[in-house]
Amino acid sequence: MTEFFAGLEQLALARWLKASFIAYPVVNALHIMSIGALLTSVLLMDLRICGAFRSLPYAAFVALLRRIALAAFVGALVTGSLLFSVKASTYAAMPVFLAKMALILLAGINFFAFLRFARGGDEPAGSAILAVLSILLWTSVLFAGRFIGFL
Amino acid sequence: MQSPFNGIRSVALTAAVMLAAGTAAYAHHGWSWTQDGFFELRGKITAIYIGNPHATLDVDAEGEAWRVEMAPPSRTIAAGFTEEVAKVGDEVTAIGNRSLEASEKRMKAVRLIVGGKTYDVYPDRVPPA
Repeated sequence: MTEFFAGLEQLALARWLKASFIAYPVVNALHIMSIGALLTSVLLMDLRICGAFRSLPYAAFVALLRRIALAAFVGALVTGSLLFSVKASTYAAMPVFLAKMALILLAGINFFAFLRFARGGDEPAGSAILAVLSILLWTSVLFAGRFIGFL
Repeated sequence: MQSPFNGIRSVALTAAVMLAAGTAAYAHHGWSWTQDGFFELRGKITAIYIGNPHATLDVDAEGEAWRVEMAPPSRTIAAGFTEEVAKVGDEVTAIGNRSLEASEKRMKAVRLIVGGKTYDVYPDRVPPA
């Protein structure tokens, strides 16, 4: 595993990002943009699931925001992997980074639990609890991520 | 159904508390985490990292492992301090400000001296000559 992370840091792309004063901030900005889109779409979607903005049609609203959230997640994953590759061994050893990864995993499990259990019409039974959990988890992911830069 | 907004209110509260706590946790960003007076560290370089997001030196000073934070890489390199001018094992003198946390072996350098050459990574903050 140690060798794998050290190997990541030696990739041409990682070495280029480490030294570039333009590419790194650009990738960093795109990571922030993806996270912003992800958190906003997740928050609005979860609030709708909890019963807010009832004037907006449930199925169409949730479907649209879920699509945005998934696209934003892919963007965050790609840009995040690039940022990670620059100092892979350092980040992989940070408890706050591992906590962030665990929180993303939990948020993913929560998402699949929602798909599996929260079925049947608008605001299905039990969906509000999963939606609140989703808001909590994604907000925690954001905070854990920001702390990587300060510990 | 039950209003979910009690849950949301507690999320906002948690976020606010974390933000407040976060301001105390600055590491390499800014100077709020460092002491005012100048601090000088002498030792041997054990690791050198000049790159994004932050340039750092690891220094062994009489058996103590220190972390020396430097300027952002663009500024560090502009000051002439690159991975070519210093290597692991070199003697280094780092002048700057140490962490407010006395037990923490961490400082932020404004000036580095390696191989008889002086590199002012924060020229506007160096001690008066």
